[in-house]
Amino acid sequence: MAERRGECLWKKHVAEQLKLRDREQRQAFEEIILQYNRLLEKADLQAVLSERYQADKYDVQRGHESSAADSSRSDALQQEMAQMRIRHQEELTELHKKRGELAQSVIELNNQIQQKDREIQNNEAKMLEYQQQISSLEGDCRELRSCLQDLERANQTLKDEYDALQITFSALEEKLRKTTEDNQELVSRWMAEKAQEANRLNAENEKDSRRRQAKLQKELADAAKEPLPIEADDDIEVLTEDAGKAGGETSPSRLLTRTPSKKISQQPPGGLLDSISLMFGYVGVCVCVRVSVCMSVCVSVRAGSGSSVLDHLAHSSALSLSLSHTLTGHSGKVLSARFLLDNARIVSGSYDRTLKLWDLRSKVCMKTVFAGSSCNDIVCTEQCVMSGHFDKKVRFWDIRAESIVRELELFGRVTSLDLNHDRTELLTCSRDDLVKIVDLRTNAVKQTLSAQGFKCGADWTRVTFSPDGSYVAGGSADGALYIWNVLTGKVDRTLDRNHSSAINSVSWSPSGAYVASVEKGSRAILWSDM
Amino acid sequence: MADDKDVLRDVWFGRIPTCFTLNQDEVTEREAEAYYLLLPRVSYLTLVTDKVKKHFLKVMRTEDVEEMWFEYEGTPLKWHYPIGVLFDLHASNSVLPWSITVHFKNFPDRDLLHCPSSSVIEAHFMSSIKEADALKHKSQVVNDMQKKDHKQLWMGLQNDKFDQFWAMNRKLMEYPTEEGGFRYIPFRIYQAMSDRPFIQKLFRPVSPEGNAYTLGDLLKEMYPAAITNDGEQKRYQVVIHGIEPLLETPLQWLSEHLSHPDNFLHICVVPTPSD
Repeated sequence: MAERRGECLWKKHVAEQLKLRDREQRQAFEEIILQYNRLLEKADLQAVLSERYQADKYDVQRGHESSAADSSRSDALQQEMAQMRIRHQEELTELHKKRGELAQSVIELNNQIQQKDREIQNNEAKMLEYQQQISSLEGDCRELRSCLQDLERANQTLKDEYDALQITFSALEEKLRKTTEDNQELVSRWMAEKAQEANRLNAENEKDSRRRQAKLQKELADAAKEPLPIEADDDIEVLTEDAGKAGGETSPSRLLTRTPSKKISQQPPGGLLDSISLMFGYVGVCVCVRVSVCMSVCVSVRAGSGSSVLDHLAHSSALSLSLSHTLTGHSGKVLSARFLLDNARIVSGSYDRTLKLWDLRSKVCMKTVFAGSSCNDIVCTEQCVMSGHFDKKVRFWDIRAESIVRELELFGRVTSLDLNHDRTELLTCSRDDLVKIVDLRTNAVKQTLSAQGFKCGADWTRVTFSPDGSYVAGGSADGALYIWNVLTGKVDRTLDRNHSSAINSVSWSPSGAYVASVEKGSRAILWSDM
Repeated sequence: MADDKDVLRDVWFGRIPTCFTLNQDEVTEREAEAYYLLLPRVSYLTLVTDKVKKHFLKVMRTEDVEEMWFEYEGTPLKWHYPIGVLFDLHASNSVLPWSITVHFKNFPDRDLLHCPSSSVIEAHFMSSIKEADALKHKSQVVNDMQKKDHKQLWMGLQNDKFDQFWAMNRKLMEYPTEEGGFRYIPFRIYQAMSDRPFIQKLFRPVSPEGNAYTLGDLLKEMYPAAITNDGEQKRYQVVIHGIEPLLETPLQWLSEHLSHPDNFLHICVVPTPSD
């Protein structure tokens, strides 16, 4: 407590003392010093101002002293005015200059403005031009686009048409395929039927032949019982010597027999033909008769005008002469057939332009060769088969190689081929009415035989060598049988009286004494004394 | 304690009315008027006399001007003492305003320090603060402060900013409570007539028993002649900031509140004026 009081005491004392001090030392003088300092500042300012005024006054006084006392004031004024005038003139000139400069700048600016205007006009003109260009280009563009659209449309229509045509085409193809299939089916069925028919016919023929055989046997048996009188005019005529045109040489002087087909007659020595005619009672013309060495007979018959042809083969012993077998295969009429030399094979030529090689043991076609033209006649040697064709060519085939060795061209359709006895010469007859003898070693035409009246009447007109090769016999379209002498090349004999229609084929007998000829009018004539 | 704050303010804003007169020997172009100014007690002469210089330079020719220095009744005034100290020491009982004579020539090198610029004053001021803190806190506080804090102290003094200054200075017035006070009290005892410039010794504010020492104790220790014995006439006045505190005033309190901005307790012992 005392401390507190004590504390307060000295603190209060201190505080009081400070306040006292301040009152004495500060507050008493503060205001005075402030005012004093202000006055001091003012005094300084006044001093400065008065100095300046003194200086001015001094200057002015100096000016006054130089001029007269009275007119000092007016002179001063005049001077002042002069000075002012000078100053004003200077200002004026300056202003004039400035005005000139401004005018100049104005002119320049005007020029610039004009230039700019011109430029603007140019630009506008260009812009106009460009706009026109643009519009024209736009027009072109539109046109092109429309063109394009049209083309597209046309293309589209074409495409559609194409598609439609494609569809129709495929449909038609389909139809065609189907029809071809049907056609083939039908053809095969027809072929089958025809084969059946052929078989049937074969069977019938067999039956028929057996029946005939039986009948014949019965008749023979009957005939053997009674003697037969020989009748003079029973289809046998004896011709006089001057029947044919004579060439001064030996010629057949007598016609031995004239036998119509389809007639039963006795057995003459040359009764081969009879039996042939007896056996084959077919509708058709007996085209040719070939006699093989062992007396098997192969007959090719043209049956009507149909294209399916039956090639009839007769295997027989020397005297039986019964129909042994039928070989089918050709699709056109068979115009010629030959035994190959080994007698086991047959080569046939047909209208269907093929040559077929048949095997007799297996009785099937072994080879088929495409000849290029319908084959009219065939002859064969050991290695070579020669065929005469519609296209005026004689083709020489190698049997083993089945290929053409040689071709020989003639001037007319080849209708007949024949080989001589020693197979060195080939006899050809062609539609140009020429009979040519070709040397097989040189392959050149050795001799040409012709006759004035000799006309090759058909494509299958046959000419033939005599067995000794010295004579050639051929039948003409007018029914005359011509005999040429090979050595002389001239017509030896003409036998023209007995055939009434075109002679199709002739054949010499192996002995050379007889010649058989057949004509279109279904007649065969056997000539003797050759 | 609001009183303490008032004390601090009163101490800071203390002023001395001064009249500056140009020395007659100085060559002037015209007569120079005296210049009156209220000088702050806590600042330094060369810091606050720019206006004086400008005023007197108006009448002087530049070639005659050298470094300005002040004297009072023949005594050159040391600028590195606070102004209040100078007044209390030399003219405490004289007539106010304090008449200082301004000199521009014949600088007394033996008596005065040169002051070429304000940075010199700053250096002196800062060194005083550091010395004081060395005594108070073994320099811990002042060394912990940053350079900008030191600058703030100086700027506060230079620009007469009480708050700016005391924002930093209160740190220097703190002490750990268990101590009871500073380590040593930074003080200087000035004597009017003496060979020594001042008395400065180590003195603790608190006795080993824990009692706070007073101003009397200090004087008894340092300058016993200043204390008036009972029965005698008071021969000396103990002046701090222009006042005489009671001798019972605790030293610690005095150091905290009546120190100058340089943290020293400047005590002037002047003879009592005999009327």
